[in-house]
Amino acid sequence: MTIKLAIDTSTSRTIVAVVDSGEVLFEKFHDGATDHGRALGDLVNQALQSHPVIDAVVVGMGPGPFTGLRVGISFARSFALARAIPIIGVCSLDAIDVDVDDYIVAVDARRNEIYWARYKDGVRIEGPSVNKPAEIDGFITDVYPDMKKLCICAQSHDVTEPMYLRRPDAVPTAERT
Amino acid sequence: MSEPLVLGIETSCDETAIGIVRGRTLLANVIASSVEEHARFGGVVPEIASRAHLEAILPSIESAVKEAKISLNDIDAVAVTAGPGLIGALLVGVASANGLALGLGKPLYGVNHLAAHVSVDFLTHLQPIEPTIALLVSGGHSSLLQVDDITSSITKLGATMDDAAGEAFDKISRIMGLGFPGGPAIDRIAQSGDAKAIDFPRGLTQAADWQTRPYDFSFSGLKSAVARYLEVTPDYAKADVAASFQESIVDVLMLKAIAACTATGINSLVIAGGVAANSRLRAVAQERCAKAGISLRIPSPGLCTDNGAMVAALGSLMVTAGRAPTEGAFDASSSLQVEQVSL
Repeated sequence: MTIKLAIDTSTSRTIVAVVDSGEVLFEKFHDGATDHGRALGDLVNQALQSHPVIDAVVVGMGPGPFTGLRVGISFARSFALARAIPIIGVCSLDAIDVDVDDYIVAVDARRNEIYWARYKDGVRIEGPSVNKPAEIDGFITDVYPDMKKLCICAQSHDVTEPMYLRRPDAVPTAERT
Repeated sequence: MSEPLVLGIETSCDETAIGIVRGRTLLANVIASSVEEHARFGGVVPEIASRAHLEAILPSIESAVKEAKISLNDIDAVAVTAGPGLIGALLVGVASANGLALGLGKPLYGVNHLAAHVSVDFLTHLQPIEPTIALLVSGGHSSLLQVDDITSSITKLGATMDDAAGEAFDKISRIMGLGFPGGPAIDRIAQSGDAKAIDFPRGLTQAADWQTRPYDFSFSGLKSAVARYLEVTPDYAKADVAASFQESIVDVLMLKAIAACTATGINSLVIAGGVAANSRLRAVAQERCAKAGISLRIPSPGLCTDNGAMVAALGSLMVTAGRAPTEGAFDASSSLQVEQVSL
């Protein structure tokens, strides 16, 4: 029996849950593309009021807009360090719960692009990648990671680095025109 | 609680820095800088800085705890720079501080970066910081402050109207091909130059300026004057230009700092921020403060640039003064005003 604190900030939604062996004991979210910093502390504080004992942290590692994504990962890592408990990272797209066997999920990557991945029989077979929406056929969008699924994925995956999928935009001085 | 144990986190620019203090004793000061990653871009790239912070912050906390020979659970409070600074960079530190404080069940103080720079003096001098005038000069800031209470009452007397002093160093250094960051590069080459070789302008020091903007700074005119000089003088002597440029900045900074001391009747000056590591500024400050009867305090060069010790020091002062911790969830603020010492 492991009580997990699940956190995802890879979309405009900040999601916090407490999950015990597949049972969701607490789940709350806050919508707002620039609210992750403020919302996350609040939501975790609420979660700890009812569930003070946490055995592990599971965090969505993206892909997703960078600033919000980093808030969740930075918070989760420090919380795990403070409690001296393990932390497991999961590809946030893997945690999106879709009730079909063969599908593509996509989330907003800003700049008119999407982060996407293709799944077959519950396994990611392509991606995560970043593309223009027109380049990808038949994706499911307007979906958010499911915290129960995030915790299930954490049993078999561990993503240790944030999934940025893009380089910083800066151009070295020597290459400027 | 007479000697609070405080962990401070600083991520406002390109330094991921963790400090741990007990009361006024510095136990650990760990700094991971991404400055080398920015060098080829000629300045700090926010996205690169933010990525580097996330990479460095946990190992930095771990090594600071080890260096301080404490256990994380012993900490009485966590302090973090809440602003001003690069928003994406600040958020990594604030989120980490939030996670630590909630995980440990300890109070969290979101503090002002500029106030923290002044607070570092608390670690090196036994006398109280206040009342004092503070000259804060770095790559992002150039401000003259009146500090009546470091934990609650700071008044901005003046600030730069355009470039920060450190920014001017970076730009001139880049034009002369001396590299980034410009401060140390110009300081080094200026050692062998003649500071009187070229009479560069002193911004906002005309008689009218002393009436209207006595404690404000402007370095963009100086920057243009140096750039123009370099253009029309193809065989310029780098050392002389560096020394004369540096002299202009140092002269203006000290003229205004001493004027602020004189006008307010506060015979104490603290100089902090990255530019306070400049050897010429330190020498001129010593000389002029001694002459004016002003007690001068400048932190060691390592504590002038961004560091976590200064944030921990301010946190320690907050706890000791009985200030309330930051209530509930809070966000970083890229433009936090210096009057707001804590959130």
